[in-house]
Amino acid sequence: MAEFTMNYNYLPSLAIATFVYLLSGCNESNKLSLNERSIIYCSEGSPETFNPQLSISGTTTDATSKQIYNSLIVYQGKNNILAPSLAKSWHVTRDGKKITFYLRQDVRFHQMPYFTPTRLFNADDVLFSFNRIIDKNHSFHQVSGGQYPFFDSVKFSELVDKVEKINDFTIRFTLKRNDSSFLANLATDYAVILSQEYGQKLIANNAKHDIDLFPIGTGPFKVKDYRVGSLIRFYRHDDYWQGKAKIEQLVYNISPSKTSRLTKLLAKECDVSSYPIAHKKIIERSDLILESITSLNVGYFGFNTKKAPFNNKQVRQAISMGINKQALIETVYQGKSVRAKSILPKISWAYNDKTPELTYDPVRAKTLLATAGYPHGFTMDIWAMPVPRAYNPNAVTMAKLIQADLKKIGVTVKIISYEWSTFLRRLSQGEHQTFLLGWTADHPDPDNFFTPMLSCSSSEKGSNRTFWCNKEFDQLLNKALKTTNMSKRKNYYAQAMKIIYEEVPLLPIAHSRRFQARGIDIEGDILEHFGGINFYHVTKKIAINDIKVTGQAENINKVNN
Amino acid sequence: MLTFTLRRLSLFIFTLLVLTLLSFSLGFLFPGDTVINHSGQINTTAAELAHLNKVYHMDENIFSQYGAYLSHIFNGNFGQSMASQSPISHEIITLLPATIELSLVALLIAMSVGIPLGFIAAINHNKASDNVILSLAMLGYSIPVFWLGLLAILFFSIGLGWLPSAGQISLLFEIEFVTGIQFIDILLSDSPYKWQAFRDASTHIILPACVIAVAPATIFIRLSRTAMIEVLAASYIRAARAKGLSFSQIIFRHAIRNALIKIIRHVGLQFANLVTIAMVTEVIFSWPGIGRWLIESIYHRDYTAIQSGLLVLSCFIISMHLFIHFIYAALNPLARGNKYGS
Amino acid sequence: MARDKIYLEEVFPSPFMQLWSGFRKTPVAMLGFYCFMFLVVLAIFSPIIVPYNPIDGNLDMILLPPSWHEDGDVSYLLGTDELGRDMLSRLMYGTSLTFGLSFVVVIVSLVIGVVIGSLSALTKGIKSSFLNHCLDVILSIPSLLLAIIIVAILGPGISNTVLAVAIVFIPQFIHITRYAVKEEFRKDYVLASRLDGASNFRILYYSIFPNIVERLMSQATLVQSAAILDIATLGFLGLGAQIPLPEWGAILANGLERFYIAPWTVYLPGLAILFAVVATNLVGEGIRHALKLRKES
Repeated sequence: MAEFTMNYNYLPSLAIATFVYLLSGCNESNKLSLNERSIIYCSEGSPETFNPQLSISGTTTDATSKQIYNSLIVYQGKNNILAPSLAKSWHVTRDGKKITFYLRQDVRFHQMPYFTPTRLFNADDVLFSFNRIIDKNHSFHQVSGGQYPFFDSVKFSELVDKVEKINDFTIRFTLKRNDSSFLANLATDYAVILSQEYGQKLIANNAKHDIDLFPIGTGPFKVKDYRVGSLIRFYRHDDYWQGKAKIEQLVYNISPSKTSRLTKLLAKECDVSSYPIAHKKIIERSDLILESITSLNVGYFGFNTKKAPFNNKQVRQAISMGINKQALIETVYQGKSVRAKSILPKISWAYNDKTPELTYDPVRAKTLLATAGYPHGFTMDIWAMPVPRAYNPNAVTMAKLIQADLKKIGVTVKIISYEWSTFLRRLSQGEHQTFLLGWTADHPDPDNFFTPMLSCSSSEKGSNRTFWCNKEFDQLLNKALKTTNMSKRKNYYAQAMKIIYEEVPLLPIAHSRRFQARGIDIEGDILEHFGGINFYHVTKKIAINDIKVTGQAENINKVNN
Repeated sequence: MLTFTLRRLSLFIFTLLVLTLLSFSLGFLFPGDTVINHSGQINTTAAELAHLNKVYHMDENIFSQYGAYLSHIFNGNFGQSMASQSPISHEIITLLPATIELSLVALLIAMSVGIPLGFIAAINHNKASDNVILSLAMLGYSIPVFWLGLLAILFFSIGLGWLPSAGQISLLFEIEFVTGIQFIDILLSDSPYKWQAFRDASTHIILPACVIAVAPATIFIRLSRTAMIEVLAASYIRAARAKGLSFSQIIFRHAIRNALIKIIRHVGLQFANLVTIAMVTEVIFSWPGIGRWLIESIYHRDYTAIQSGLLVLSCFIISMHLFIHFIYAALNPLARGNKYGS
Repeated sequence: MARDKIYLEEVFPSPFMQLWSGFRKTPVAMLGFYCFMFLVVLAIFSPIIVPYNPIDGNLDMILLPPSWHEDGDVSYLLGTDELGRDMLSRLMYGTSLTFGLSFVVVIVSLVIGVVIGSLSALTKGIKSSFLNHCLDVILSIPSLLLAIIIVAILGPGISNTVLAVAIVFIPQFIHITRYAVKEEFRKDYVLASRLDGASNFRILYYSIFPNIVERLMSQATLVQSAAILDIATLGFLGLGAQIPLPEWGAILANGLERFYIAPWTVYLPGLAILFAVVATNLVGEGIRHALKLRKES
């Protein structure tokens, strides 16, 4: 009995005491130092794998390529010049068929509890990484599904005759034919170098799958911990060949909800946020910065050309004419994008101003539908991707607008959206009728738009989800790759774009910039012109008043202990 | 007490069996192949599928299938998640403790706020403070929890910047997973930032726990008010008053004690209610618990996860129910009578 | 012939009228009742009286704040959403979805629950005990969780939501009917009509139902407020009403993305839900209060 009374008397004062204790702890010294040594990045989704060779999703490359791995060569600077990375230098023979890389001799792989490298990076690792993709009998080729979507779509295995090790630090690629985009492809986020020694160890342990789950690379960060849908924790790679990163800990806070990403940014629970919404609100705040980078991309509305009624060209044209593109751009991108005439953005050198474009014309759309045999319209579904991308910051809203537009020409639309990895998986199985997606270029070569998005090879294996395959179009692409003459190539691509206009496997919508938000105390470039993001250069500024607080907090700490 | 225990336990086991039957039948109700719904293995070869069919006795009669399913469950094998292809038992073990932690804290808050307020209302029966408390209770009971959560974030996290808006703890702290209950794990860890982590975790739990606690607290207000009014009208209180005990003596020595026993009986049912509210709240506060996971599984059409998640969550609720019933029976000998089970 | 009453006849109002006269005495309950009736009228007529089409937007009027705001426009009283849809029209239309459908839920589960409940009240022995145990199991699973699972089986959508929520509330009605019928059966007046030779069903229909109807009504208001919340919650979680239906929970979830730039798209639907639930609960409270008054008198 006495106990009951006591509890009730002490409860309020206990609660107050606890609360004061909690508040006083907010500016703790150790936490501050931990905080200033770490960066939290609010990312938009979970990576599908830790090996970017296996995926073309931006979420995966953002989380892996530049953080965990290096490639042989990279794009650098605003003019996109190829620069050395793991390869010190390289040499291309005059016929363009033999490319020799001279490798760095001071590169160390990550040391992890599950793997300790005994040697430096050398030609064996390069051989291992590329043979995994090219050689169907390679012991790792079939691991994690045996699909290398980017390499499949550029027909990498057909192009490369062989990869040879000349000596420990020299490697030579022999091509079957000249390909003007080969070097560019090696500089993408997908052409990363894995550790051959680690591969051997996994074979010995009979745990080959681990190579894509517990990654070992040469990059500035190593994966400490990964919880699906929750977080990725990176530690700094102290022996990084370019010198260790300035931050010790990098945490990806996986927040698929746009609102929760913004909330965390506003509440200072993350330092950097990917694809922020409500730009106006971020600009208003003095402690946040909104930044953007030109990105070579295109957002489009695609048709599954293997499924009725979209195997009919007229239906595709009619639907495309029924969509008010300008309204989509103003509402979804809030005017921060350029309307797309075809798939190439203006900054690409192959851009052609005279490319024809389907215009909004609901009356003609209706007559076209009637000639195609659908005078009363039909019902279709639109698959809207669940994550924001630079090329389409809000596919669901866009789908709603298209739904309203198409209703006017008698077509009923159902909107379907799955979680990102499920969405991509089901899309690759061709379950959709139409879809909203886009493409971000991995390098500035225009081929990177045409081949992965619309070629026959990528419709079989790879990233062409329209499943459209046009022989004439493919021939034009091949011709363009075989020559280095810029004006000839430009001409071929112009013809290819004309075919896209006539056949409408997809309706290009917009080219947009990629946005990112960060706190003002975060310094250093994160966004890269091609592909993804890189946290190597990032530092955190230490505010002066924080240091003062540190002193006080230490006192509190002593008292508490 | 022994007959009571046996009675309750047999009822408990019966309930569990009904639940497994329900979850077993879900495998048939969901779209797709039953054996794939049970095992969650979506990328199977023909040989693997044949093996699965054998393991789950799919070619035999339905009772044998159920038996095979039960034996899988009792061996802790819930199959694989269709979305992530990792074992569901592992996912549940990492997520359930977070939900338990959140709902227990919320229950504590709901009881420690609701019961005293209810008592105050009862003591001031039909006075202004009674009406104010009752109106507040009505309002709290009517607020949609997801809306309340959003307002709380807007006000406390963004507006005032007092409390964090998402997660269990700042991701900067690396706490090793032992029990899954964050506070215990922090105390067990040898992190140099132990106490900071503890404080950080405390600030993270306040907002979601309070949001969850609002609706159950209002029910506790009503329950305790009714219980107290009944107790105060009882003859032993009148007797005590006649004996000349002071008002506070009567309240603290007799009334509260007897009223509390009446309330404890309802805690179990309220806990079930609270866990559902917690599911929605977890979504809003990005709390890494089983509720959020279950709702995301529905988005992914991850039938294996839904099936097992439902089973585990309802078993948890029912075990709590049983546990609270035992406490009640231990406190109140009258409750051990025969009327249970009828 | 004049039918003026000459004698002071003792008028004995029906239980329902007794309840109403008790109900009318509480002003707060009456206020709730007026709000409730307002919602009912809105739910019936909103498809006709909405000022704008709740589904088609006006793209020239995107994210307009409510009219009392300095940037607001009087022709869009409560502002517009991201597609330029009028919030007032959407909320009005949403009344027939969220509030109106909660009525459907209550009626469906009430009818089924009362039928099963009264039938089961007539059973005895093992059958009855087994039913009771099963009912206990279902009642111990929270309604929202069960509704979520049923929606997971049926697939998301507004009609499936209504079905799921209705199914979920049937056991509550079974339970209360069963309990009430059993209790009434023990009373003397039932014995009297039984001695008259009335069959079980006749007793149920003529003697018992009029006497338990108010208890069922009080339960129905409880269920309705829970149903509104459940429908809205499912809509909020994206499992209920699908794009572009203006169900309140779905409107709120839709506004979530623009919470920080257009907060009214989140405040308003939340307030609408709160209003509907409070009105329903006030009516329920009023009924329970009146019942209690009658018992005490």
